[in-house]
Amino acid sequence: MGETILNMQGIQKYFSGVHALKGVNFDLKAGEVHALMGENGAGKSTLIKVLCGIYKKDGGSIEYFGKPVEFAHIAESQNAGISVIHQELNMMNDLTVAQNIFIGREAMSGGLINDGEMERQSQQLFDHLGVKIDPSVKLGSLTVGKQQMVEIAKAISRDCKLLVLDEPTAALTQPEVEELFKIMNELRDKGIGMIYISHRMDEINRISDRVTVMRDGEYVGTVNTAEVTKDDIVKMMVGRVIMGEQKAASTCPPDADVILEVKNLRAGKEVKNVSFRLRRGEILGFAGLMGAGRTEVARALYGADARQGGEIFLNGKKVHIHTPEQAVRNGICYLSEDRKRYGLMLDKSVTENSVIACVDDFITAGLINDNRMKAESQKFNDMLRTKTPSMEQLLKNLSGGNQQKVIIARWLMRNADIFIFDEPTRGIDVGAKSEIYALMDELVKQGKSIIMISSELPEVLRMSDRVVVMCEGRVTGELDISEATQENIMQLATMREEN
Amino acid sequence: MKKKRISGMQNIVIILAAIALFAVFTLINPGFATRDNLLVMTKSLVPYAILALGVTFVIATGGIDLSIGTVCIGSAVLAGALCKTGVAIDEGTLWLTIPVILVVGLLFGLLNGFLVAKCKIAPFIATLGSMLVSRGLTAVIAQVARDGATTAVKYPTTGWFQKIFTNLNGFPIGLVWVLGLTILCAVVMYKTKVGRYILAIGSNEEAARLSGINVDKYKIIAYAIGGTFAGLAALFYTAANPSLTLAAGNGMELDAIAGVYIGGTSTTGGAASILGTILGSMILVIIRQGLNLAMASSTSIVINATNITYAVTGVIVVGAVLLDVLKKKSAAKVKVPPTAKK
Repeated sequence: MGETILNMQGIQKYFSGVHALKGVNFDLKAGEVHALMGENGAGKSTLIKVLCGIYKKDGGSIEYFGKPVEFAHIAESQNAGISVIHQELNMMNDLTVAQNIFIGREAMSGGLINDGEMERQSQQLFDHLGVKIDPSVKLGSLTVGKQQMVEIAKAISRDCKLLVLDEPTAALTQPEVEELFKIMNELRDKGIGMIYISHRMDEINRISDRVTVMRDGEYVGTVNTAEVTKDDIVKMMVGRVIMGEQKAASTCPPDADVILEVKNLRAGKEVKNVSFRLRRGEILGFAGLMGAGRTEVARALYGADARQGGEIFLNGKKVHIHTPEQAVRNGICYLSEDRKRYGLMLDKSVTENSVIACVDDFITAGLINDNRMKAESQKFNDMLRTKTPSMEQLLKNLSGGNQQKVIIARWLMRNADIFIFDEPTRGIDVGAKSEIYALMDELVKQGKSIIMISSELPEVLRMSDRVVVMCEGRVTGELDISEATQENIMQLATMREEN
Repeated sequence: MKKKRISGMQNIVIILAAIALFAVFTLINPGFATRDNLLVMTKSLVPYAILALGVTFVIATGGIDLSIGTVCIGSAVLAGALCKTGVAIDEGTLWLTIPVILVVGLLFGLLNGFLVAKCKIAPFIATLGSMLVSRGLTAVIAQVARDGATTAVKYPTTGWFQKIFTNLNGFPIGLVWVLGLTILCAVVMYKTKVGRYILAIGSNEEAARLSGINVDKYKIIAYAIGGTFAGLAALFYTAANPSLTLAAGNGMELDAIAGVYIGGTSTTGGAASILGTILGSMILVIIRQGLNLAMASSTSIVINATNITYAVTGVIVVGAVLLDVLKKKSAAKVKVPPTAKK
């Protein structure tokens, strides 16, 4: 590890009277991966935004390569060699991969943009990183995981000296994570300093040299990763220890009624003859790599996407579900992996987001009873312990975990029987995660059934009673939780069709 | 009923602006504040306000309806021609024009809704198409129905039609209708499932769909409301301007839509202000008539009230939307970080 390239001391930040950063210290050496941890709302993103010039600090000092700096604009920090890979991808889906990588600094020849040259350079970049992506295809045609790779490549292609990775692995599959770590290790050898924000403890242990923990805008401390355990870090973050053990045995009796049976579901190229059963009071985990077709199964079952074949039986009776409306009427609900796009009305209140699936229940003589709506939504959100100042708060102002709770409230109010959770804890911090887990356990205790799609194996192993594993659109195996391990799941998840 | 968040502040701004404009125009031309002029303004306000009320529902879904102006006048011309109003002033069949006008409006609304919701055509394109179709087709049918007569369709100039829709023995009865329709629209928008779902769709269509809402159905309903209100507006327009030419409908939709935006309804949908729509329409009428009077003495054929009104309207629409954008921006800036809520 080399010289200190970044030294932030006593950073203060206020938002209209709210003390968001209370004297935070953070330093970074060349060739170091320094993890920045804390629950959502701890101030990590705010600190990064102060660093790269999106926010102006209200106190403290920043030294970058030994010189005091205060970037007034994100372009200034970029020019100084600071690149941020954001949690949410900010790229243009209708442009090609190469056009996205070189946006703002296009290769020109004779006054015109030279797409061929940009594609050639992108290809070199990908070859160098060992990533298989065609630079001439539209970005939108890639999976989220691949898009993230493009974003990382884009950052690397700039001459960056300090790379901020804000939850880069949230959407990546295990092999993709390995690929990312390989790249990060290369960058480390080149002397690039990296700030790594993630909620995944395993990754922090593997990739980071030091960890700085923040809590409620305060600086808790900085430790060498090698000298602490996971629990130490979590304790620093939340002041309590979180259990993450695998479920020992299924809590769902093997003779419980089959509430849902799906036979030979086919949809698009991603879902090939998928069949499975779900029992009452069961959590059925869906494991697999990104692109295995798990989300597509859920969407086809839910009627969100058209399907080419397959039958759905509820309590033994064949049902016709071709629109989400019909699915909801049959007691099925879907909680999307991409909450902002498919779940939330960000500019609407907690109440409106909670009640939207059951407006009918609040209508008397054709008119909506807003007071009853609010009271009912209050009741459910209190029960779920949604942290919000009021029911009128707009959803965009809540943290990811609380947004997820509002969506759970929505389906509880609708009294759904079958919950399809697609990546239920993506982008949700550790504390809120365990609350979501507890909620899911509570749901099945009440006789609800859950299909849980998750790319985090520890999550699959901790929550599921049974695990369905998919690969390339097919179900490649089904494991009882007592026999499931990370290893045998991964084996099934990579069992590609032979030919 | 609790005040909707979005409208409160903006409504006050519009009312203040309306008062200021009123004062300025009165200073320029004392004739502005007279009873006669106020009557002229209410007459002019009524059809635009009704058009604007209807299209507010469409805009709230995140859509737009460019066809309301030509559908409005087109339906009246068509009904007049079909019911032979005007060939000889025919009180006997005049009542028939009312259902015809409303049905034509409704049908175009349903057509727009179908094109947007079921055929997934962008609202701008779909309604641009039906604007042109309604303009052309109604002209052709009207001509055929009237055996090729090319003169304007003439509705009766006095009688029960006027008494109901525009002038009840000197009282501007149209205002009462506007008031009633405003209350009706506010109830539908804020207190019924239709309004709630329309706003949900405008806020996040995919989320609404995945929440089990029949998005297509409610989009079609929104456009049907827009079309029906275009028909309603035609009744009031015709009563006040019995001699109709199709060209009268050209550009009407833009004035109505401008009123909606000035009133604070979100350009991307999801948030709508019914009261704002009425206030926005009022502002436009005040400006139009104010400039008319202020520039009445101008002899220039280029610098006249009509052209200046266009320019001023344009500036105000952009200004109102800009105000909205800035407001959202500053709201985003002072956004309380999540730490504050713990």
